[in-house]
Amino acid sequence: MKKILISGSIAGCILFVFSYGGLFFAVKLFPTLFVEYNSPLFNSDGSRDVLFYMHPFIISFALSWFWDSFKILFKGPFVLRGLEFGAVYSIIALLPVMWISFSALDITVPMVASWFLYGSVQAVIAGMVFSKTNP
Amino acid sequence: MLKKQRWACLLLGFTAFMLLGFTAGMIEPKKWLISESSNLCVNGNTNVNKFSCEIPACDRTDTLNMTRNKSSKEITLSGNISLSIQSFDCHNAIMTRDLRTTLKEKQYPRLRILFLSLSNFPELTEKPQLITGLVNIEMVGITKRFEVNYQVSIDDQKVVHLLGTRDINFSDFDLTPPRKLGGLIKTNNKLSVIFHLKIKELN
Repeated sequence: MKKILISGSIAGCILFVFSYGGLFFAVKLFPTLFVEYNSPLFNSDGSRDVLFYMHPFIISFALSWFWDSFKILFKGPFVLRGLEFGAVYSIIALLPVMWISFSALDITVPMVASWFLYGSVQAVIAGMVFSKTNP
Repeated sequence: MLKKQRWACLLLGFTAFMLLGFTAGMIEPKKWLISESSNLCVNGNTNVNKFSCEIPACDRTDTLNMTRNKSSKEITLSGNISLSIQSFDCHNAIMTRDLRTTLKEKQYPRLRILFLSLSNFPELTEKPQLITGLVNIEMVGITKRFEVNYQVSIDDQKVVHLLGTRDINFSDFDLTPPRKLGGLIKTNNKLSVIFHLKIKELN
């Protein structure tokens, strides 16, 4: 349990910097990709900002628990283990969620694809962190 | 008792004198009809795009009273235009919905511009003349006074065009500019308001 929490916390901090740093630069470099977010579909009064910024820790603790249970299945150097872990998460969790989101919400393919890519990269980075902190 | 009556008479006389003096300083007010084709445009930007929302036409006809003051160049105005927030069109359904929500359309369905004064009576020519004026903008239950820059001109049909421009802030009306993704996408506080009044003198 201690290992899950420590690994989750480390991965959470790394993902926090990576995720929001990445989003910050993406908004600066590719503003047109974010025009779609000016939609009532997305919260605009700032009341859920804390929840938004907690996301890297939520996903890190969940993935840390998953990693602890199934780490023996991922073999090889830490980069490969991270990539395989990210792929498993993307196929099992992200793909179905993106599928249902696209089918139910008024969002575009590029938006859903960017969410899929964002989640996959987060899982790969988390996997690499876990293979070092909780091998 | 007699002293009190004398004071009352004096006060009455003074009030009557002031009132007479005031009205003598004004020229008979002129009534102008605000055309339904008058419109309003709001321009703003976010850190990812620009937007332009307009109310293409008024849904009712209003009148404007213009009183020229003899002693000064200033023109006193009375009258207003009342615009429906629902008429805002940002040429993008998503932006339109967002603006209406920000302006609390359900709670405050109308926006009013009350015309108060003009700095001077413009010479009505085809060439636009620059003047200033005061207006009260009433939105989301808050009224704020602004000085507006006007371009005044007249066309062949004797329609006077008053093109008013003014920058306002969301915060002037205690509104928070919309923000998305934890503030990564932000709407600027400043909005540029342009209204085009088309008025014709009533006989």
